[in-house]
Amino acid sequence: MQLFKTLRLATRDYQHEWKTSICFVLGLSAVLGPMMVLYGLKVGIIGGMFNQLIENPINREIRPVSSGRYERAWLGALHRRDDVTFVVPHTRNIAAMIELQSQRASRIIKAETIPSDHGDPLLDPIRVTPTGLHAVVLSRSAANKLKVDVGDTISGSIKRRYRDQSERVHIDLKIIGIAPLESFARDGVFADLRLVEALEDFRDGHAVPALGWTGDVVTGERTYPGFRLYARSIYDVENLERLLNEAGIDVRTRSTQIALVVKMERNLNAIYWLIALIGLVGFALSLGASLWANIDHKRKELSVLRLVGFRTGDIIWFPMIQAFYTAVLGTLLAVGLFQGVAWLINDLLGQQLSNGEPVCILYQEHYIAAAVLTIVTALISAILAGIRAARIEPSDGLREL
Amino acid sequence: MTAEANPISIYQIRNLLLDRESQGVSFRLAVPSLQIRQGEKIALIGESGCGKSTLLDILAFIAQPTESDGFLFHPEELDVGVHIDYHWRKRNLNQLGDLRKKHIGYVMQTGGLLPYLNVRDNMNLSRHVLHQEDDGSVEQLAMQLGIARHLNKLPETLSTGERQRVAIGRALAHNPSIVIADEPTASVDPFAAEKIMSLFISLAEARNITVIVASHAWQHVNKLGLRRLSHHTQRSSDGRTTETIVNG
Repeated sequence: MQLFKTLRLATRDYQHEWKTSICFVLGLSAVLGPMMVLYGLKVGIIGGMFNQLIENPINREIRPVSSGRYERAWLGALHRRDDVTFVVPHTRNIAAMIELQSQRASRIIKAETIPSDHGDPLLDPIRVTPTGLHAVVLSRSAANKLKVDVGDTISGSIKRRYRDQSERVHIDLKIIGIAPLESFARDGVFADLRLVEALEDFRDGHAVPALGWTGDVVTGERTYPGFRLYARSIYDVENLERLLNEAGIDVRTRSTQIALVVKMERNLNAIYWLIALIGLVGFALSLGASLWANIDHKRKELSVLRLVGFRTGDIIWFPMIQAFYTAVLGTLLAVGLFQGVAWLINDLLGQQLSNGEPVCILYQEHYIAAAVLTIVTALISAILAGIRAARIEPSDGLREL
Repeated sequence: MTAEANPISIYQIRNLLLDRESQGVSFRLAVPSLQIRQGEKIALIGESGCGKSTLLDILAFIAQPTESDGFLFHPEELDVGVHIDYHWRKRNLNQLGDLRKKHIGYVMQTGGLLPYLNVRDNMNLSRHVLHQEDDGSVEQLAMQLGIARHLNKLPETLSTGERQRVAIGRALAHNPSIVIADEPTASVDPFAAEKIMSLFISLAEARNITVIVASHAWQHVNKLGLRRLSHHTQRSSDGRTTETIVNG
């Protein structure tokens, strides 16, 4: 095998014919570069939309539309599912309202209490869990109106009509965290479920011994009118929705929006690959044709190699090695082009996008895929030229005809 | 030079024919008998189109004879001769190629140097294919050919005459048994041609290399002591068939 010698000669020839080589490389990057930019835009834009979908827990949220009677055990079973990350029961909405007052603001505001627990996706960013009857996390809007911050204590109060008497109770609440604006836009209080239950119990005329509130003593299993559930990922939402529907529970989800983005990605992918395929075939044909024609140009030199004893099997590598160089250099140049254009796009458009995510981006695996695809295509298109080169006989170039 | 002094013939050919047809004209080369001994210097003189190149191609195992009663190739280094006609019939092209690369050096009309290799690498090409180590012989040869100062230059920077010297160097560099040269000085002026030719012959002589040179018109055959192969060409009256008979 003279493969190493063929490699050396093909390399020297490629260097010597640098003008032709540059044309090959430019031709390749002219096809590959724009294709990478196109794909980068697809990855950036669709990827950004996906990230927003994935990062915002609201998209994974599932809530029943109308109130039902859900038991703790049933909700527990739901929680244990692999595709569910978090479930917390709800009390009745009206019963969950609480009036809040701080010493710093004169206003009294009405806020909703939101049952929370460990692993609540809405409180994920601040990593705080309200536990017990006197600790709460305020929503940003409520905290602003009350002019309070973490560590402050506020007073909550609720009233009821009990045995024809109006009664009001007060409870001190320590603020252990403030939820980000995205988690809850209205005035709200994230609280331990026990606190929310206590408020409901008091309103219903029941006793809450832990807080010293008097009333009727009630026994029996508690049921909840609703719950707040989060799927593991946006891809699990559709399945969970179907499952709950089958159980006779109408739920509200973002599955339509998710499906829209998924469908958009699929369509854009199809369009992209169609363009890429056309580009790739065009590149393969043009490189193949150039290499094929180049064999005529090199006929004499190749026949000299045959004359000094290179076998047909060695000669076949000659155009393939050169096609490999074209593919590698062309890919590198295309990557350079892409990075320049991507930088420009991100710099120009990035300022207009609030989240600051890149509009045009490719990841390592995309670069590797582009290189592998290009090299394989180049080698395939060089095979015909290689076979043609191998057919050259020593006598072909001996005399100028 | 007699058969007794050097009993082995490097080429032994009997009743060889090669027919070729192109554009309605048929051409036949007939070699009833040809013996070339090791170390002989042979000249084939004749106008172009008479079949010199075809004979050279046959002797270099490049062209396949249409038929032959015997085509034995027996260079000194081999214990037994090789039946070239057998390999052609079996289409053992790679074996023929191997024989060629080991035993034959070829000087092309226009040099046939690779433009992307410098003079040293061009001369070394035949050696490298045979995995011969660099032993300084290429430098020595370049000195003898008067091209030592060009060793690191690309062929395109040399004159035609210098390029032919490189081509001769390449044909000799791997110490073949035979060097076949097809019009090696056709593109050079007559004065330079004579100088190059005598240099070539003396280098081959010193290495006991058999030389076969084809040329269309050349006055120096006798001066350099080459044996001229006799051949005569007949054309049919309508010009459609040409037959060349070579003997020697």
